[in-house]
Amino acid sequence: MGLLALGTALDWPEAKKQAHLVRSWGIKQLLEIWNKAKGKERDAMLWGDEVEYLVVTYSKDDPKVLLSLRQADILKALENDTALSKAGCAPPLPDGSNSHTSQPPPVFHPEFGRFMLEATPGKPWGIEFKELLEVEPNMRLRRCIAKAHMLSNEYPITLTTFPRLGSPGVFTDPYYPVSGPKLRSQFVPDEIANPHIRFPTLAANIRSRRGRKVQVNVPVFKDEKTPWPWKDPTVNYDLHNWPEDDDVRNGAAPENFIHMDAMAFGMGSCCLQITFQAKNLTEGRQMYDQLSPLGPILLALTAATPVYKGFLADTDVRWNQISKAVDDRTPEELGEKPLVNDRWRIPKSRYASNSTYISEDPRLRPEYLDPDLVIDESIKQQLLDGGMDDRLATHFAHLFIRDPIVIFSEDLKELDLSKTDHFENIQSTNWQHMRFKPPPADNSIGWRVEFRPMEIQITDFENAAFAVFIVLITRVILSFDLNFYIPIKKVDENMETAHARDAVLTRKFYFRRNLFPTARPSRSGSSTPVASRPPTPTGPVEDEYRLMSVNEIINGTAYAKATSSSPPSSSSSSSSSPPLKRRKTSSSEVEDNEEEDEEFPGLIPLVESYLDSVNVDVATRCQLATYLDLIRKRASGELWTAARWIRHFVARHPEYKRDSVVGEGITRDLVAAVVRIGECEVNGRGFRGVCGAGEGEDGEEGVEGVERLLGGFR
Amino acid sequence: MTKLILSTGNIVSGGPSIIRKPGAFRSNLELTNSLRSNFLAAQEDAAAELHANGATNGNGNSSGNSESVDLDAETGTTGRVPTAAWTGRDQNGALYVPRIHWDHDHHHGLQEERAQYDITAKLFFLPGAPVSERSRYAREALEHVLQELRVPEVDLLIVSFPGMSFEGDCEWEADRRNAVQGNDEDEIATWPAIEELHRLGLAKRLGLAEFGSEKLARFLSKAQVRPTVNQINLKNCCNVPPPLAQLAKEQSIELLVHSDCTDILPKGTLRELLGPGPRGAGILADPETGAGGLQGDLTPLWVVKYTAVVRDRGVIENKGYFAGAELADG
Repeated sequence: MGLLALGTALDWPEAKKQAHLVRSWGIKQLLEIWNKAKGKERDAMLWGDEVEYLVVTYSKDDPKVLLSLRQADILKALENDTALSKAGCAPPLPDGSNSHTSQPPPVFHPEFGRFMLEATPGKPWGIEFKELLEVEPNMRLRRCIAKAHMLSNEYPITLTTFPRLGSPGVFTDPYYPVSGPKLRSQFVPDEIANPHIRFPTLAANIRSRRGRKVQVNVPVFKDEKTPWPWKDPTVNYDLHNWPEDDDVRNGAAPENFIHMDAMAFGMGSCCLQITFQAKNLTEGRQMYDQLSPLGPILLALTAATPVYKGFLADTDVRWNQISKAVDDRTPEELGEKPLVNDRWRIPKSRYASNSTYISEDPRLRPEYLDPDLVIDESIKQQLLDGGMDDRLATHFAHLFIRDPIVIFSEDLKELDLSKTDHFENIQSTNWQHMRFKPPPADNSIGWRVEFRPMEIQITDFENAAFAVFIVLITRVILSFDLNFYIPIKKVDENMETAHARDAVLTRKFYFRRNLFPTARPSRSGSSTPVASRPPTPTGPVEDEYRLMSVNEIINGTAYAKATSSSPPSSSSSSSSSPPLKRRKTSSSEVEDNEEEDEEFPGLIPLVESYLDSVNVDVATRCQLATYLDLIRKRASGELWTAARWIRHFVARHPEYKRDSVVGEGITRDLVAAVVRIGECEVNGRGFRGVCGAGEGEDGEEGVEGVERLLGGFR
Repeated sequence: MTKLILSTGNIVSGGPSIIRKPGAFRSNLELTNSLRSNFLAAQEDAAAELHANGATNGNGNSSGNSESVDLDAETGTTGRVPTAAWTGRDQNGALYVPRIHWDHDHHHGLQEERAQYDITAKLFFLPGAPVSERSRYAREALEHVLQELRVPEVDLLIVSFPGMSFEGDCEWEADRRNAVQGNDEDEIATWPAIEELHRLGLAKRLGLAEFGSEKLARFLSKAQVRPTVNQINLKNCCNVPPPLAQLAKEQSIELLVHSDCTDILPKGTLRELLGPGPRGAGILADPETGAGGLQGDLTPLWVVKYTAVVRDRGVIENKGYFAGAELADG
């Protein structure tokens, strides 16, 4: 969540007056880094993962599970234990070895939610293949250490959201009443946020800038007995504590939507983020662009968020809820009122899918760029004058259309070019699905790219699998010089598509047909030197991509055809005319469907081809194969996403009445199941054995449906 | 007797030929596809050049037969670019398919300093080639790799002998079958030539492929420069036969995974690649009509695969193959 400097945070009316100064100083700081770091070369491939946890209270005999708000105490306990005693926290690897001796202790960080915790490895990972195998045990170690510094009835769990956050009654420990001065939420107390002044100020100033509370409305899942039209029964229309209590009376809570009204409903979600260090600026920009179209695919594939505020939602992922939870746009910026005081209409929230491609790659066609991109022209000019190229200047001039939300008065005394605080103020409150990170002020590390769309998974096995998969994908992109470009508007559309229930199986996504260079650079046979890249292709952009299922994108066309028993409905697709066929295959059985006769290789076969070309030892390759297997099966539907498993768990629960309500009992048992799976994992007991359905050795029943989530792994 | 050197160039960004196809596990498709596409690219370049020359000069002045070639035809043997336009010969008469311009800096060599790379070469001795000549083949193959990458040595040279595999239901069976495969005598007899490359500083470490526990134990007892790597093929099963795992551990031999097939360039495949057929390069004469091209019995001798990986970034910068063959005059 960025720097946690202490100071006097300005209220919005004051902060607003200083916004211009902060931006202008931020740009000066950016140019300072730019000039210092643009020539940095040959930085090693280093990467890091961030795992976020909810802290819940749970015990076998307690009929209730609650969010624990002891974040500060837990962090203090972790901080005081400098050695982070690993006693009892070093479960062996599956092969019996134990490899977490070389790593310094993990690092724990506060998060927005006071019920959250974030943990990162003690030092970044390299690309040695054996090192990739340390990720999973390190994640388990982090979880174990976190648990060891909690009360016996507290657990760090990796559900994206707490199912009953904001439900009527008690859902936190300790309990606080709702409707506080900062959030003014009728569902969650101010104490839900980290008390550090930065966080309540962030929430309050977003609300204040916006002129009303945030509106996080998510469509409710319509089950057999869900009343329809559905009115969120937890909304209180008779509250009169704050002016914002009028919001719901003015239509903030539409029918058939679960209504939420505070930043905590979004920023209280846990995700899995991966940051890579590039070898230089050029590679960083390439990675940023090439990973961007993968964002929605990985979002759909990691879907884990089907419940909000005690109701089943009709979406599977967290993304749009966070987007709405930090949407600080004014009615003018939203286009609801004519522009009078504000400078422009802004199509997206600060938290949204990317709006820019930033590479100077000749394969980047102007048609891919967002035609509606809003930028601050004067900032762009400043950056150009400072020596930055057009494309990157455009990117930052886009990020800098936003106001800084939290400003500390102490920082406004003088501009300090040896820091990046003002730049980071804007940069790190632009929460796009990729983030391009310049080196820090001391230039000690390289240009980095953060991959942000993935949802946290219930087990560290899964989290490690997705983290390692993305790392391998980056190596594949760079080695094979792959081209994933599609128009950025299509990435936006894909992001929306990824929200659908079971999008991973039922929806199709725009994806580039041909990832390879169109013509092979000539290596011999010609006496005239040829350009190292083929000339920019000029066919219609629409011919370059088509709709594909996640299965096809991940596993390739052949595998997808062989494994999809029921062809996914194409409900999400094609009002547009079908793309022209590029090249007829010589196959005698050309299919009717024009889109189907093209072989897409699939990301996993590409990763395998990469692994075939490097020296990997047997044990490592087999571990990596397990990770790829998990992802393959999630993409094909052989295994369920966490979202689907949670829906199944709710549906099978005796207290569920087919009315979309996820009550306290169901929530309690769901959390119990997740805790149980976590214990199985941390003890190295495997998911099949004690966790598998009906196989409890201590007489307990297994966890419902766990074999559909985790299969025969471990 | 004509010596042929086939090459793929750098295939790593060369498109689909590097992609493993489902069900094509342990195949030589990467080699054959990338040879084919490199031939095609060379022919296209040559055609474009001939075309350009023809357009500016009215008639070809360098090549006597160029006017007889219909450059615009896309298919059919009449549309072929003459072999001489895209292949080349060295001073000893070896035929390079396609021609290699060693003096073109941008086609050869690596982008960064040598120390940044982990370079592996895997040499395949092929079944039809005489064992007595392996020393020469090894030298020739490695020299081509060094010249292509413009480096003084490779980090690891892995040797693959014909007739060996590591197949069967994991665990014990593959290991047991392996024990009687290959030819111990030939393999031991070949090794000194490989050791010599190591002593000359051309290969820092040596490795083997497809050696099960028994063969490996026998081999180690005879080898002076010990292999530090044994590449084995694992299908879907991840269990290394325990005797092999144990031996490797005791002898500090790293067990690496590969998915190459051992008989990587069978005679028929090579003939098809170079032959007059629709998927061939048109270098060999049509056996029925005897029209155009080289005649005689073609024998593949060796294949070498090379890979240069940027060490601390895990990026494959260069990967390709050379293959050596011999054409007995018919």
